[in-house]
Amino acid sequence: MDSFIQQLINGITLGGIYALIALGYTMVYGVIQLINFAHGEFFAAGGYVGVIFLSFFTGLGYMESYPVLCLTASFLLAMGYCAYLAVGVEKIAYKPLRKEARLAVLLSALGVSIFLSNGLMLTQGVYDKAYPSELFQGGFHFGNVTVGYLQILIVSLTATLLVALNLLVFKTKIGMAMRATAQDKTMSALVAIGSNRIISLTFAIGAGLAAAAGIMVGLYYGSVRYDMGFVPGIKAFSAAVLGGIGNITGAMLGGLIIGMVEIFGAGYISGEYKDVFAFIILIAVLYFKPTGIMGENIDDTRV
Amino acid sequence: MSKRSLSTVLMGMLVIPFMISMVSAETLKIGSMSPLTGPYASDGTDIKNGVLTAIEVFEQTEGPIPGYDKIELFPQDTVCDPRQAVAAANKLINLKVVGVIGAYCSSSTIPSSETLDEANIIMITPASTNEQVTDRGLPYMFRMCGRDDDQAPAAARFMKESLNAKTIFIVDDKTTYSQGLADGVSKNAKALGMDVVTHDHVNQGDKDFSAVLTKVKAANPDIFYMSLQGYSPAALMCIQAKRMGITSQIVTQDATFQPKFMEVAKDAAEGVYLTYGFTDPTTPEYKAFEEKYVPKYGKIAAYATYAYDSTIALLKAIKAAGSTDPDKIKAELMKLDFNGASKHVKFKENGDSGSSYIAFKVVNGEFVPYWDPEKGLIK
Repeated sequence: MDSFIQQLINGITLGGIYALIALGYTMVYGVIQLINFAHGEFFAAGGYVGVIFLSFFTGLGYMESYPVLCLTASFLLAMGYCAYLAVGVEKIAYKPLRKEARLAVLLSALGVSIFLSNGLMLTQGVYDKAYPSELFQGGFHFGNVTVGYLQILIVSLTATLLVALNLLVFKTKIGMAMRATAQDKTMSALVAIGSNRIISLTFAIGAGLAAAAGIMVGLYYGSVRYDMGFVPGIKAFSAAVLGGIGNITGAMLGGLIIGMVEIFGAGYISGEYKDVFAFIILIAVLYFKPTGIMGENIDDTRV
Repeated sequence: MSKRSLSTVLMGMLVIPFMISMVSAETLKIGSMSPLTGPYASDGTDIKNGVLTAIEVFEQTEGPIPGYDKIELFPQDTVCDPRQAVAAANKLINLKVVGVIGAYCSSSTIPSSETLDEANIIMITPASTNEQVTDRGLPYMFRMCGRDDDQAPAAARFMKESLNAKTIFIVDDKTTYSQGLADGVSKNAKALGMDVVTHDHVNQGDKDFSAVLTKVKAANPDIFYMSLQGYSPAALMCIQAKRMGITSQIVTQDATFQPKFMEVAKDAAEGVYLTYGFTDPTTPEYKAFEEKYVPKYGKIAAYATYAYDSTIALLKAIKAAGSTDPDKIKAELMKLDFNGASKHVKFKENGDSGSSYIAFKVVNGEFVPYWDPEKGLIK
């Protein structure tokens, strides 16, 4: 039983991270029907910006006196940087191809992914970069179950960001504009919604969330490396598809399911097949419900 | 000066540069194969750096090889992928290299050595410890590091004799190297009367090991044996194991012998044991290597020293052979008997150069020799 609860906690943590990354895929797909393969790289870049600033603050000694402030600043800086990076990528690599065949943009996205990942390797080196480890180590112990402080931080921050995103998309003017653009670009332009601005904003938000996930992964696992975006990128993409690509709630749900299946598959059946279980679930769901779990009313609620 | 002698001098001046260039234009080409991108890029880069240092040191101490004015390295990227490794081997064949240092992953070395063998090119691996590397009887395959079938018994004996272990939980990441070694440790541990509780697997490139570590915690074995390719997953696993409150002794293997391991895992690395070939850091040969390597590339890591010795051995043999004929170079390689930076180099009939596995312990962020199969605890 202890073991089961421990695995449940592990699964929620991992699922939360996948959910945050999956949102970027799903939002971009909702607005311009593009699978942004470079999204995993924003996640990695976020992890790197985080470690650079956290190490900088630690070096100055601010980390001891103002830990919360430093952490918040690092999160905001990383999210801001990645948002900016994503907007730049969109302007350079996707916008000129928007009128071309879908395949062209898709290939451009793959190219950007390789470019960013190797750029990270050349500028930051091939070795792992360690996060300052004194942060939030330890945790609560309930019998044999350990809940790390970092796990609590990850889950609560993820939940906050998800709620904030939902409010933004469904309760604000900007959110309404995003949904309108997703439905019909021409029509929304007629009612004075600048679709370019909205597309940039979508990229910025998605990349910002991925950057937040990047720092959390860095804090939780202790290090980042240049190729860290690839595998979680694929998993998060599967999560977005599983939940119904284009649907925000679906992406969150998909992320949690993939994370849980992976952990329970590894914990109770075998670690070597955990990815297989995750993809079996994906295939099974798509076989019975090709639009994904939440994908039915795709035209009304997608972003 | 008559007109004729002037023209002779002029002619002579024209011809001399040609003659010089004919003598000096020769470059001795050697290749290296290791993962320079992908998940094992760090270990592969160490190998490349070791080879480059060896060329530098060799040119300074032994002078140029007769007939050549410089030695050039063509480093190839294998990504630890068998297909890429074979492609890299073909590229080196087209470049007409005399010898190859590499590869890193056993799963790359095995197929690419067959390609190189067809072209009769000498290959010395600094890092592939799987038995199959030299057991296939390829005439031009040599190995500078130890063998897994020496490492596994050493590890099992260490756990039994020094750590008094009764139960072991083994995890590997399913690469030729890590799984082969894990199987060997499992077999040897059982033969010594220890109980292998579980032998589980993770995937290459995983970051999250919480599921398997929860199982370790539940099983609470004396030893948690990690057989992973590279220091990076090992560091992550140690951090997560510590956070989860696992109290089993962690024992791991040669791929973790990388100062970056402690840099990433920090206090989680303290007290971790690992088996690695013994290298005496006080010998003049090691010092010569250290002097050149450290200022340029930083701390000396896992396979840089073996890569260095492999290159020195290859260059010594080429110089002694005075030719690029692979059989002559092989004959000279077999005659070699010198003190390298990592160990005393003397090749056996099958191309191996012997293993010298001992156990190290991480103490205050350093690998400290801890236990020797011959002498027991090292004080």
